[in-house]
Amino acid sequence: MAISSDTANSSDTADETTASTLPAAGRTDAWYVQYAREHVLHIAVIAFLAAYPGIYSLLVNSPVSAEFVAVLPRVETMVTVLYFGLFAMSFDFISGYTGYLSFGHAAFYGTGAYFVILATNGKFPGVGPETPFVALLVLGGLLAVALAIVIGALSFRLSGVYFAMITLGFSQVLYVFVRDWSFVGSAPRDGIAVTGKLSGFQIGVPGVDALNLAIGQLTGDAVEGFLGVLSFTPTEVSYYMVGLVVLVSYFAMQRIIHSPFGRVMIAIRENEERARAIGYDTFRYKLGAFAISAFFAGIAGGLLAGFKRSVTPESGFYFLVAGDALLASVLGGFGTLAGPLYGHLFDETVREFLSKAGGGGGLLPYLRDHLGANTMATELYNGLTVAEAIDTFLNGHAALYVGILFVLFVLYVPNGLLGTLRDRYGGTLSTVVARWFQ
Amino acid sequence: MNGLVLLGDALVLSGFVDALVDFLGPSNLGTVLLDGLAKAALYVMIASGLTLVFGLMGVLNFAHGSLTMVGAYLGGLLLVLTAGTATGGVTRILLFLLAVVTVFAILAAVGGLLEVGLIRPIYDRPPLYQILLTFGVTLALDEFVRIVVSFYGIQPISEWQAALATKPAALSQSYAFAGVSARGLALFQILFGVATIVAIWAFLTKTRYGLFVRAGSEDGEMLAALGVDVQRVFTLVFALGTGIAGVAGVLLAWDPSWGASVPLAAETLLPAFVVVIIGGLGTFRGTVVAAGIVGMTDATMTWWFQNFVDFTGLPEMTIFLILVLTLVWRPQGLYGVSEVGGH
Repeated sequence: MAISSDTANSSDTADETTASTLPAAGRTDAWYVQYAREHVLHIAVIAFLAAYPGIYSLLVNSPVSAEFVAVLPRVETMVTVLYFGLFAMSFDFISGYTGYLSFGHAAFYGTGAYFVILATNGKFPGVGPETPFVALLVLGGLLAVALAIVIGALSFRLSGVYFAMITLGFSQVLYVFVRDWSFVGSAPRDGIAVTGKLSGFQIGVPGVDALNLAIGQLTGDAVEGFLGVLSFTPTEVSYYMVGLVVLVSYFAMQRIIHSPFGRVMIAIRENEERARAIGYDTFRYKLGAFAISAFFAGIAGGLLAGFKRSVTPESGFYFLVAGDALLASVLGGFGTLAGPLYGHLFDETVREFLSKAGGGGGLLPYLRDHLGANTMATELYNGLTVAEAIDTFLNGHAALYVGILFVLFVLYVPNGLLGTLRDRYGGTLSTVVARWFQ
Repeated sequence: MNGLVLLGDALVLSGFVDALVDFLGPSNLGTVLLDGLAKAALYVMIASGLTLVFGLMGVLNFAHGSLTMVGAYLGGLLLVLTAGTATGGVTRILLFLLAVVTVFAILAAVGGLLEVGLIRPIYDRPPLYQILLTFGVTLALDEFVRIVVSFYGIQPISEWQAALATKPAALSQSYAFAGVSARGLALFQILFGVATIVAIWAFLTKTRYGLFVRAGSEDGEMLAALGVDVQRVFTLVFALGTGIAGVAGVLLAWDPSWGASVPLAAETLLPAFVVVIIGGLGTFRGTVVAAGIVGMTDATMTWWFQNFVDFTGLPEMTIFLILVLTLVWRPQGLYGVSEVGGH
C-alpha cells in the first residue's frame, strides 16, 4: 500500500519533462502525436487485446494447436475476464486508493446485474425490454450509486476492520433479501434469467441502428466482411463490445485517479488525519470515491447480465464475489487500477487450465491426447492411475493452487504484479515507456 | 378497491396479533428461549477463538470458519471410526469428548504452525494484509478438504450423514416438561457451551498466560517491555483459538442443521464475524453477550418465519441487520474499546 506516493511524484516529473524538453529539442509535433507518445503502452495493450481473438484462432489452428488450446483462455472466458476485471478495478478504485477495504462490494455488482434483468423483464415502471441496453447500464450504475451513498454515509464513520465488516454486513443483508424475495422471480434462490426479450442486448449509440451490436453467446450479432476481410463470431463481437465499455470505464477511472480528487483519495490512504488537517472534508471525498466506484461496479454487473442473460444470488451479491475481486487485486497489485484486470486474467487462465468442464481445452484433454493410454493407466499408488490422480488433484480444483499462490503473493510480492513492476521502474509503466520514445 | 386493501391490512394485523399472542404463550416462549440458548452456545463456540486472537494480536482470522469445518470433518471421522452400531449412549458421549480433545490438539498444532510460518512474518504490515493472508489460506484449505473428502467418496456439499448418525439416540429425542419441549441435542449444546465459557473465563482470569493475554490486549509493547516473550504468547493464543474453532466443528458435526460439509466454512465464518463485531472486537465478555443476543434473535425469527412471515431468509437477514445497526449505533461494539481495530 506504500506504492502511491512515489508513483504520483514520478508521473508528475514525467509530465514536466515532456513539457520542458520538447520545445528545447526543437520538435513541434502535432498534439495527437504527443498524445500517442504518452500513451504508447496503453495503445500497445489495447492493440494486443484487440488482436487476441485473431491470434487465438490463428494459434489454435496452427501445427502446435494442442498446446495453445490447453493454455490460452478462450475468447468466451476473455469476455468474463473483461467485465469481472472492470468490477475488480472498481473494487481497487475504492479499496486500493483510499485504503478502505470495501468487502461488501458485491452489493453494487449484484445491483447492476439484477437491475438490467429485472428491468428487461418489465418489473420496473418506465423501463422495459425496449429500453436501450446502454441506458440500462447507466441506470443500473446510478442505482448502485444511490445504494453506495446510503451505505457509505453510515459506513464511513468507521475505519479499518470495522469498515470492512459493516460493508460486508450490508451486502449480506441484500444477498439474503434477493435470494428469498419472490418479487425477482419464481425461484429466487436459483437466480433469474432474461424472459422479457429474445434478442441480444445491444451496445452502441442508442437510436442509431447501424452503430449497435448485440452481445451474448447465442443472441449476439455476427459480423462478416468488416473492412472487407474480417469476420467475427457472436462471442468475438461480444468481446469487442464489452471491451469497449470496459475501456471507456477504465479511462474514466484513471482520469479521476489522476485528477486533484484522486490525489485527495491517495492522501486519505497515506494519512487521513493529515489530509483532514489541511482542510479536506475527507468524509465527502470518501463518499464520492465510494459512489464512483459503485457506479462502475454496477456497470460491470450490467455487462455480466447482458452477456450471460442470467444471474444468481451467488454470482451477484454473495460476499465471495468481492473475495474474487480482492484476489484479482492482490495478484495484480493493490492501488494500480489496471492491475486487477491482469490479476483476474491470471486467475481465470489458471482456473480454465484446470477446469473440469472441458470444452475449451485445459490440462486433462491435452494429456489424454498426448500421453497415450498406457501412461494414463499407469498405477501410481494403491490402484490410483495417473488419469485418476490428475482428475482428483488437479481438475476443477484450481482454487487450491490459486489460494496457495495468493498466500505466496501476500507474503513475498505484496505489491502484486503491476505494483512490483512500478516499484522497479519507478513510475507507472505507461510513463516509463513514454519516456523511451522521447 | 381501497376497502379491500384495508380489509387485507386488517387481516394481516389480526393475524399478526394472533401470532404474537401465540408466541408469547408460555410453552412457545419457553421453547424459543431454550432454542435461543442452544444457538447462543453454538455461536459462542464459533466466535470465541476468533475474538481471543483478534483481541491480542489484532489479526482478523478469515480462516477461522475453514478451521471449524476441518474440525467438523476430523471429529466426525473419529466418531465414525470409533462408534459402532452396538455402542451405547454414554460411551458415545465419552467418545465425543475424546474426539473433542483430539481435534483440539490437532488443530491447535495446525494453528501454531500457521502462526509461526505465515502470520508472524507480516505482523509489521497493515492489518489488511493479515486479512488477505488468512483469506488465501481459506481458499486453499477449503479446496484441499474438498479434494480429500470427495476422494473418499463423501459428498462435500451436503452434510456428512455418517457423522450425524453417531449421535446417541437420547440426544435426538425431544423432552417435554411443563409444556416446554426441548431437543436433547439443544440441552447438550447449552451444557457444552457453558462449560466452554467457564473454561475460557478461567483461563483468562486464573492462569498466568491468561494474564498475559489480557495484558497483551491492552498494551502489547508494555507487556514485551516487562520481559514477557510476546511471540510465544501470540503463538499459544493463536493455537488456542484454532483449537476452539475445531472443537466448535466437532459440536456442529452432530447438529443436523449444520453438519460437516465444506460450505460450513462460510456458514460459520459470517455469524462468527457478526458475533465478534457486535460484542466488540477482542472482548470475551462482549462475545458471550453478543452470542446470547444473536442466538435469541435467530431463534425468535426462526419461530416467526415458521409461523407467520413467509420469508425464508428472515433469521439470517435479521442477524446481519443487527450487525449493521450495532455498528451504526456503537461503532466499537457493545464492550469494545474504540482504538482496537481502527485504521
